[in-house]
Amino acid sequence: MTWTDEELVAKSISGDADSFNQLVLRWERPIYALAYRTIGREEDARDVCQETFLRAFRALPGFRGQAKFSSWLYRIALNLCRDWIRRERRAPVVQPPEDVDLIELAAAAEPSESIEDLVARKDLMRLVENAMALLPEEQRTAIVLKEYHGLTFQEIAELVGCPLSTVKTRLYQGLIVLRRELSKNSKATR
Amino acid sequence: MTEFPCGYGDDRDEAIVAWLYDDVDGSPAERARFETHLQTCARCREDVAALRGVRAQLARWSPPEPSFAVGSRSSDVGSQPSAVGSQPSAVGSQPSAVSRQPSSVTNPQSAIRNPQWWSAVPAWAQVAAALLFLGFSAGVANFDVRYDKNGLSIRTGWSKTPALDVAQTQLTSAAQSQRMGVAQGSSPADQNAPWRADLAALERQLETEFRATQASAMAAPVRTVAPAPATDADVTRRVRVLVEDSEKRQQRELALRIAGLLRDVNAQRQADLVKIDRTLGVVQNNVGIEVMKNRQQINQMDLLYRASQRQ
Repeated sequence: MTWTDEELVAKSISGDADSFNQLVLRWERPIYALAYRTIGREEDARDVCQETFLRAFRALPGFRGQAKFSSWLYRIALNLCRDWIRRERRAPVVQPPEDVDLIELAAAAEPSESIEDLVARKDLMRLVENAMALLPEEQRTAIVLKEYHGLTFQEIAELVGCPLSTVKTRLYQGLIVLRRELSKNSKATR
Repeated sequence: MTEFPCGYGDDRDEAIVAWLYDDVDGSPAERARFETHLQTCARCREDVAALRGVRAQLARWSPPEPSFAVGSRSSDVGSQPSAVGSQPSAVGSQPSAVSRQPSSVTNPQSAIRNPQWWSAVPAWAQVAAALLFLGFSAGVANFDVRYDKNGLSIRTGWSKTPALDVAQTQLTSAAQSQRMGVAQGSSPADQNAPWRADLAALERQLETEFRATQASAMAAPVRTVAPAPATDADVTRRVRVLVEDSEKRQQRELALRIAGLLRDVNAQRQADLVKIDRTLGVVQNNVGIEVMKNRQQINQMDLLYRASQRQ
């Protein structure tokens, strides 16, 4: 039987530990992806993901369902990402894995994908990562939430606590920066 | 990039973004207005097209595969639960990462394609289940284990040869006769069979152990069962994995720090070289000026000397 998030939350509050495990299984990947795209480091993203669920578990009795569980979870994760960025006192750096070689890449690739395609795809991913790393935190957050998590503008506005028009402006400005950086980098790599 | 004038208004950026993501929260009239504007404004058309291209590139950025226990192995975009059920449908040719998601994405349960439910079962329960399964399998397969003068033999299956049945009958009767302590004309070969002595020894040992167990159970109070020793190995393995993970993480962190340090050193070196170059230039300039001054003084002295010679 498929339980909704809210039902699982209610069961979890009443002491059913397995319900919270199901919530974790359901949401750990999106939360990890959000953290990775926001702070750009795999290990730290995983830590943020774990910490998010830990905090959620502790705070679960206080969750009254004013917002959706996913929004609540996103907010916790974003706050943790913000803390991380402040703690690091620097712009997030998306680290290209230095110890990755072609053989390893090829092993992880789809069988039909050629090495050339694979390298091109990895290059593009790195370009996007580097371009995203240049964005200010609020623009990056808006893009990540909209582009990869499919939130509406209204949901993003509520999540980050700013007016709707600000969200759109941040998104537009972020996309413009990305457009400039991506075209610059693609010209340079040609 | 060609700059065309655009007279849409102050909220042009917002309108473009809303159009791009098909997330128009205002009235349909607003959308229709921008649609009409797009047909006449080359600049906005160019922007929309370029930003669509950016979105197409963004769609190809997926984070590395996390190592936590999640059943789903596909990239997160395709398998993650959508935070919103109200995501607009795919519009025209917009390269929306969201619109390319399968319809099952609206159901967050689809993220758990193969949950590792068994990982939550305790180790002792898994071992017990395995033993039960083995026992059941042995029963179904009709295992027949024999130890005779030909050595140990294991047979499976329901069909038996007549010779085997005869041997089994003999074995049963021999065991019964020995247990009752009555020799009923069994052959000397049977009495000298190697399994007879082994069987007797095994019986004696079992009886001794059984009595000892009974005695200790009556003497000692009931105690709780200690945790299975198998968990120690499990814990050790887990700790080892954790330590290895930690080492890897530290190595990566160290590599990152060293890379950062090298970058800083290189940047500082470049800055120092520029500074040195500039300082050298200034010094050379000063030296040149001094040389010129000295030459002028020498020339003047030469002139004075010649003038004095003439006088």
